[in-house]
Amino acid sequence: MKKPWQLASLIFVFLSLFVLIHSFSYSYKDRLGPGPGFFPFWISLITGALSLALFLQTTLAKPEKEEKKSFFPNREGGFRIAFILASLAMVVVFLNPLGFRISLLIFLFFLPLFLGVRNWLAIPILAVAGSFGVFHAFYYWLKLPLPIGIFGI
Amino acid sequence: MFALIGCVLGTLIGVLPGLGPAAGTAILIPITFNLDPIGAIIMLAAIYYGAMYGGTITSVLVNVPGEAASVITCFDGYQMAKQGRAGPALGIAAIGSFVGGTFATFALMVVSLPLASFALRFGPPEVFALLVVGLSLVTGLAGRSLLAALIMTFFGLLLAMIGMDPVRGAPRFTFGVQDLYDGVGFVPVVMGLFGVGEILVSMEQPILEVIKTKLSDLFPKKKEWGISSAAIGRGTIIGFFLGLIPGIGAIIPTFLAYVVEKKVSKHPEKFGTGVIEGVASPETANNSYANAAMVPLLTLGIPGSPTLAVLMGAFIIHGLTPGPFLFKERPDVVWGLIASLYLGNVILLILNLPLVGLWAKLLEIRYQYLYPGILLFCILGAYSLNQSVFDVSMMVLFGIVGYVFRKLDWPLAPAILALILGPMMERSLRTSLEMSGGDLGIFFQRPISAVLLILAIIILVTSAIRLMPMWARKESKN
Repeated sequence: MKKPWQLASLIFVFLSLFVLIHSFSYSYKDRLGPGPGFFPFWISLITGALSLALFLQTTLAKPEKEEKKSFFPNREGGFRIAFILASLAMVVVFLNPLGFRISLLIFLFFLPLFLGVRNWLAIPILAVAGSFGVFHAFYYWLKLPLPIGIFGI
Repeated sequence: MFALIGCVLGTLIGVLPGLGPAAGTAILIPITFNLDPIGAIIMLAAIYYGAMYGGTITSVLVNVPGEAASVITCFDGYQMAKQGRAGPALGIAAIGSFVGGTFATFALMVVSLPLASFALRFGPPEVFALLVVGLSLVTGLAGRSLLAALIMTFFGLLLAMIGMDPVRGAPRFTFGVQDLYDGVGFVPVVMGLFGVGEILVSMEQPILEVIKTKLSDLFPKKKEWGISSAAIGRGTIIGFFLGLIPGIGAIIPTFLAYVVEKKVSKHPEKFGTGVIEGVASPETANNSYANAAMVPLLTLGIPGSPTLAVLMGAFIIHGLTPGPFLFKERPDVVWGLIASLYLGNVILLILNLPLVGLWAKLLEIRYQYLYPGILLFCILGAYSLNQSVFDVSMMVLFGIVGYVFRKLDWPLAPAILALILGPMMERSLRTSLEMSGGDLGIFFQRPISAVLLILAIIILVTSAIRLMPMWARKESKN
């Protein structure tokens, strides 16, 4: 886990630096007391210091005597994760234009299919129940507004 | 009725792997939008302690804790299930949870008002100091690297700064994105970190197989009642007193209860092989803690865990501010909630004893159906908050972040708590400095805040010493 921890702590160092620089855009102090820039300044400074400390600690630490566990998933696992993220991204992009029902119908149809389901009765039932059924329950019964797309569905 | 619905939903949430009580409560907040505040809070509280029991079911049946506090239950609960004794394991967990929860609710009634009166002596410096203690506890007790836990805490504070400045009301770190004016919503963050992140990690693992055990026999043997009763008593006390400390989280009481049980046992070597007290004590501590943790939330406005932080968010959404003034301004909410806790404990017992078989059936749903369903509710929950796709995209983003942090083995709880407490912390710090004209000495000139800050320093120093390599190796050898 050495390299991932080093990389993560470096990312936090840069994030802290970014916040620190931006904190100068806000006033540190005004006539009433500490301004909007006060808290970001100190929090980013402390975060940067902690991240640097972790980077140094990880770099100087002796390698652990344990089985080498890869940070990255294997090929199959990686594909599953990538597909789930792509599906979620699809929902984000098409939720407003296509509406809740159609976006989630597509999502709930293809995701189980990709994950290995071959039950051609269960998949459409799940997809319809999860999209149209859930829409009906939340939109009409619980009065929660959900997006209706360009097709009026 | 709300308590009943909440207990059912909460147990369901706790049973489903991939969702914990924090994410589950967050997901179900939108269904309470059209309820009156009392009803909404009662339902969400019932979901919270229902989820505490629900996590036990998966721990026992499939060795996968449905939520973090049920990790300990896996040690002996799963072994009991392998021996065909899942029934007694789940049964004693239900009974222990009832006893622990009921005792904690009664004690909550007794200590709440005195604690609320004491809390009125808290000004901004005391509030800031208390928040520092809360974050120190969670940080110091989380994970194997204190530095990583501290970084996660400050990461949460950085996220909390996005949006409107809590004192001056000016936008900060929004970069012209209008959706960020309200900040990074904690519901999408929690659902992303806990819900989506957990599912992404699970996608790397092979498919789990459920052990189909006989659940018809729900009760322990005669000789186990005596051992179980004592374990339940100890778990109740440990869970309750630790629940009063804000920031401690549910894992510590369950872990401590298990360790104490092992120490007092005549046969400590049997722990881990399927002993009933190894299930009874931590499960009792879990529910006792869940009810007792309402005390700092209601009296001081300090959430004791990520789930309570989500519950606190729900309070705020419904126009209620947890803290000492809640007792004065809305006693109907407070006492209604406490009354529902009694009822909820009874409902949980009645629900879960006969329904153990049904809950177990849910686990036989293949993950290919289960996970899309969980993701559906995450999407729905994130969108429903502000009817904004931006919140859904935040959820997905934090899902990736949660996945990465899980792979790094960096704790998520400090970040969530800091995200919730950040604005309060900043407000109290800046107000204190306005009061003192910029003098930091104000925190040490007032006795309560001085004591609390010294306590926070002790907690952090103790954690640092505990996690120093030399000590860590010694402990692991023990």
